[in-house]
Amino acid sequence: MTTVSGVTTRTVKIDRRSNFERYAFLFMRLSGVALLFLAVGHMMIQHVLNSSTNLTIQFVAAQWNSWGWKVYDMGLLVFAIVHGYNGLRTVLEDYIHNPNVTIWIRRFLIVFAIVTIVWAGFAIAAFDPLTIPPTDIEVRIQ
Amino acid sequence: MSSLIMTVRESIRYRGRSGQYSWLAHRLSGLAILSFLVIHVWDTANAHFLPGLYQWSILMFKHPVFLVGEVGIMAAVLYHAFNGIRVSLLDFKPEWWKYQGRSATLVWGLFLVIFVPIAIYMASEGLHHCQVVGEAGGSCWALPSLNDFRPFSEVHPVIAPGA
Repeated sequence: MTTVSGVTTRTVKIDRRSNFERYAFLFMRLSGVALLFLAVGHMMIQHVLNSSTNLTIQFVAAQWNSWGWKVYDMGLLVFAIVHGYNGLRTVLEDYIHNPNVTIWIRRFLIVFAIVTIVWAGFAIAAFDPLTIPPTDIEVRIQ
Repeated sequence: MSSLIMTVRESIRYRGRSGQYSWLAHRLSGLAILSFLVIHVWDTANAHFLPGLYQWSILMFKHPVFLVGEVGIMAAVLYHAFNGIRVSLLDFKPEWWKYQGRSATLVWGLFLVIFVPIAIYMASEGLHHCQVVGEAGGSCWALPSLNDFRPFSEVHPVIAPGA
C-alpha cells in the first residue's frame, strides 16, 4: 500500500471465477430482512414483553416445550451467527490486506461459526423441559 | 498500531457527513451485537448442558451493570436493523441515491422514536427489580455465588427475587 499526500491506493486482485463475494453480499441483505423479524422480534418478546429480571430456567422450559419456539430460536441462531461472522470478516478484511492472514481469519471464523451453530442447535433440539422441576416457592435473596 | 490509531481517528474525522456516521454506527453496533451474541448463545446452550451454571448466569444478568448493557444491546439491534434495511433498499434502488442524507436522518429519527420509550420502560423494570430485592432485604448489586449452583449439571430450587 502506498500513501501519496493523503491519497491511499492499493492494488486489488479480482478473482473473476469466484462468485463468493456476490453471494455473501446477497446473503447479508436477505438474512438482514429475516433478522428484522427474527432478531427484533426476539428483543421485543424476550426483553420488552417479558423481562430478563424475571427470567428463570422454568421460563426457558415453558418456551422450549413447543417446537414452534425451538424452530424460531434455531432460525435466529443460524441467521444471526452467519450474518454476524460474515460481517466481522468484512470489517477485518477492510483493514487487513495480507492474503496469508485473511485466509486464516476466514478458516478460523468458519470453524468457530459452525461449532457454535452445531453446539447451540444441539442444545435447543435436545433440551427436555420435563427435566426441569417446576418453580420452587423458595425465594432467593442475593 | 499506528495504522489502528489512524483508522480510529480518520473514521471519526473524515467528513462524509451523515452517511459517514451511519456507516460507523452500523459497524460499531454490528460488532457490539456479535460480541454479545456469542456469549449469549454459548450461555443459553448451558440451559441444556449445564443447567446449574445457566441458573447462575441468568442471575448475573440481573445485575445493574448487565441491565444497562441490555439497554445498549437493544439500541444496537434497533439501529443496525433499521439502517440495514436502508442500506439494502439503496443497494437495489440506485434511483433513490439522491435521498442518501435524508434517509440516514430518517433512520436516526425512527430509531429514537422506537428506542427511547423502550429504554425508559426497561430502566423502570430494572429499578422495580432492585426495589423488590431491596424490600426483601437484599441488594441487586450483590453478585450470585457460583458455589451455590454446584453441581452445575443439576437444576437448583432457586428463583430470582421478584420473579
